[in-house]
Amino acid sequence: MSAHWSERREGGGWFAVWLIRGIGLHLGRRVARALLYPITLYFYFRRGPERRASRAYLTRAFGRPARMRDVLRHIHCYAATILDRVFLLARGTRDFAIDVHGLEQLEARIAQGRGVILLGAHVGSFEALRVLAEARPELRVRMLMDRGQTPAMTQLLHALNPAVAAMVIDAGGDGNDVVLAIREATAQGALVGLLGDRARSGEATRAVDFFGAPAEFPSAPHLIAAILELPVVLAFGLYRGGNRYAVHFEDFSAGAAIARNERNARLGELTQRYAARLEYYTRLDPYNWFNFYDFWQLHADPGGTVRDGAAA
Amino acid sequence: MSTQSPVEHELAELIVSSLNLEHTSAAAIAPEAPLFGGGLGLDSIDALELALAISKRYGFALRSDNPDNKRIFSSLRELSAHIEKARVA
Repeated sequence: MSAHWSERREGGGWFAVWLIRGIGLHLGRRVARALLYPITLYFYFRRGPERRASRAYLTRAFGRPARMRDVLRHIHCYAATILDRVFLLARGTRDFAIDVHGLEQLEARIAQGRGVILLGAHVGSFEALRVLAEARPELRVRMLMDRGQTPAMTQLLHALNPAVAAMVIDAGGDGNDVVLAIREATAQGALVGLLGDRARSGEATRAVDFFGAPAEFPSAPHLIAAILELPVVLAFGLYRGGNRYAVHFEDFSAGAAIARNERNARLGELTQRYAARLEYYTRLDPYNWFNFYDFWQLHADPGGTVRDGAAA
Repeated sequence: MSTQSPVEHELAELIVSSLNLEHTSAAAIAPEAPLFGGGLGLDSIDALELALAISKRYGFALRSDNPDNKRIFSSLRELSAHIEKARVA
């Protein structure tokens, strides 16, 4: 349970390619969704660490012991969002009922014209945010994605929507290139999408309260935003069953620079506030939490992530 | 051990001041030692701040899509050589 998330092979990759692309697009979403049940069972029985992580998380979220049916529902929710990625990428949002909340907060930040960081997490479907691209086609959205970590997903993306794939900033590339790419994109007024809940190995993290216990969150998204003086808007696309999604935007920070001697304290505050808002949105529908590893493994990985207590 | 040229020293001073390296003097940065990871132990956040400082001081931007970035960021000497080349160009 203490393995770093990046050591687990990509969940769902195996069916993403052959099942989803083939059956999903040829036979339609209804048929493909029927197949999610056997897939969910397969995943449940074959992926022990993920199953245990799901049970531990749900127990924490519900405040009662999670049952098998809860875990199955959790896996099913995950599988359903992966399937829907295909349709969202290949056909846009027309098959879906997507409620959008807080768009005006994002619009206000975009109107300032200096780029925006869209900060999400591994909850629900970031793809549901494509609703934004359709509402505002002139917006440029560049998503950070680790191509090496998710080869099947990357392959799928390229096959289904090369235009979106071309906008990906490869987070698995050289770290210096990644931060420079964020700078270049936002300097042109683009929105850059990051997920703020997982640190890469060796990246600085903060232990902050999350679902009632300390968990390590990366501080880099907040530090990058401060250095580039970019506003941050939270963005979560929650799956609400059937063909329904709820997309939430929430203004998070104004893009003020942070003096070096205040960095340590301010980064701690920002990381904690992000975790609190992430908990709030995750609690709206706890089955949307898609970190299937022991997220609260405080100090269990001495060779991996480092604390950035001395970052000032 | 080789010594810093004047332009390398100027860049070393920019590195120390822009990254606020309290325990390192500009003169102590060996021109051929690795800047990132080992040696000075800079990370990509430092690279970002350094890129901003270089833009401000030298008026040109380090680019994310430069295939030579690994070499350019490898040492004070390489970075300085790249800046000098870009300024002339």
